[in-house]
Amino acid sequence: MTDQLAPSTSAHQRLECEGVSHGFDENRVLDAVTVGVDPGEILAIIGPSGTGKSTLLRIMAMYHAPESGTVRVADRDVWSLTEQERLSIRRRVGMVFQEANLFDASVRQNVNYGPRIRKQWRERFREMLPLTTNGSATVTEQLELVDMGGTEQRHVSSLSGGEAQRIAFARAMAYEPDFLLLDEPTSDLDPRNTAVIEDAVKAARDADIAIAFATHDMHQAERLADRVAVMIDGKLIEVGPTERVFTNPDDGRTQKFIDGELVY
Amino acid sequence: MIASFLATHGFVDPTYLFLIDFPFEREYVQSIVWVSLYVSLIAVALSTLFSLAIAMTVGFAEFRGKGFVVALINTGMGFPSVVVGLVVLFAVSNQGPLGTFNLVFTREAMIMSQFVLATPVITGVSLAAVTSVDEGVRDAAYVMGGTRIDVALVVLKDARYGIMTAILAGLGRAISEVGSVLIVGGNIVSDGTSVTRTLTTAIQLEARQGRFETAMLLGAILVVLVLVINGIVLRLGGGRV
Ligand SMILES: Nc1ncnc2c1ncn2[C@@H]1O[C@H](COP(=O)(O)OP(=O)(O)O)[C@@H](O)[C@H]1O
Ligand SMILES: [Mg+2]
Repeated sequence: MTDQLAPSTSAHQRLECEGVSHGFDENRVLDAVTVGVDPGEILAIIGPSGTGKSTLLRIMAMYHAPESGTVRVADRDVWSLTEQERLSIRRRVGMVFQEANLFDASVRQNVNYGPRIRKQWRERFREMLPLTTNGSATVTEQLELVDMGGTEQRHVSSLSGGEAQRIAFARAMAYEPDFLLLDEPTSDLDPRNTAVIEDAVKAARDADIAIAFATHDMHQAERLADRVAVMIDGKLIEVGPTERVFTNPDDGRTQKFIDGELVY
Repeated sequence: MIASFLATHGFVDPTYLFLIDFPFEREYVQSIVWVSLYVSLIAVALSTLFSLAIAMTVGFAEFRGKGFVVALINTGMGFPSVVVGLVVLFAVSNQGPLGTFNLVFTREAMIMSQFVLATPVITGVSLAAVTSVDEGVRDAAYVMGGTRIDVALVVLKDARYGIMTAILAGLGRAISEVGSVLIVGGNIVSDGTSVTRTLTTAIQLEARQGRFETAMLLGAILVVLVLVINGIVLRLGGGRV
């Protein structure tokens, strides 16, 4: 068992799924998927739409337990823990979805959400008082990382889609997660907003965060990822270093997907 | 018992109504406004807490008989207030389950009946508001490390305008309602000040007695009050809640 107080950069700070299977009603969505991410690496999960990438990420985010298989964080089986223990592990994970899913509030309140809910109730009530100024350094810092500095006071309804998604990214980073899960975070964005997010993802890797992102855009996978996992019909058919998977895949279907022939 | 109660509280005593002159009437009107606000605001405040708990449970928890609860809420929204008054009056009467508390013709009984009237309205409108909060917003709150309570608070906050509307609708029903407060409150005035007389029950009494000026004045106050409450609540809703 690893020392729980060890810094998050220790080699055991890994988020992994082993033999994870899951379905909805009769529909088998994930079939014995084994995959993990280490600190300081970007793993791309690629595959056509409807192959189970989102389902896998939600299971990695401990949204619900898989039907079978285990999810481990730092070598601990998260579904064998108490709810309270799992909460403290969940609180080390950040996630961004295809939609920004921002709260109907100011940019500052959105980005400050993660740090705020980690505080004691006493402190949270105190911050609700109108006189307390809770300008947080992390909020400002995270906003600058996505090129949204100075927007703290804006209401999210005044943001463009790309700006909203950059705020969503800052919001997931504001509580300094050790793991970052991104579910097609740039699917709806133009190239400029996509570039801002991609730079922020690389910065997160350089800060030793373990990152897994789902995408159906293999060019993005090639640009960003250190390793690529290829999923088809709920099965992980191939995992390996980006360059190797793109130039010399083991599985014929991977080549087809990369060539754009495998369209569902 | 009720008869002696009526006598001691001067229930509908027309002679005294002719004796009051202007300064008294001012106090009389003020006390009526106060009773109206007191009863309606307390009933609505209590009902809001109760209704939000029900709306969140029905909206997000899975349990048997959920469809029945929703049907009950919808039926309750249009429930005749006189019947509610009758049931509450029976409940607090000597034969009723709450008979020992001596609540017949009291503000507490009026609060109870207005609670019953306001709850389906506040619950129904709040339920629509909380279930229309985007599922992605709940997902986001959860994955950022939110507990069930954190997620519920995010939902309530995102639904705040709908909830404001729900509270307003409940308050509107409570403050402008005649039937049940008349039955359970008894429209009592003592020494020229209202005990259980509200704007609505006063208006119907004054109008029946042919005192149209007073009735009109009370009617105008009721309308202004409803407008002011709307204004305050909408203003609150625009800021940080
Ligand atoms: N909550 C759910 N209930 C029922 N079916 C679902 C649910 N979530 C996903 N699915 C199904 O699981 C399959 C995989 O979905 P998803 O994980 O979203 O794939 P991807 O993200 O790769 O496009 C799809 O067939 C989808 O319809
Ligand atoms: Mg998806």
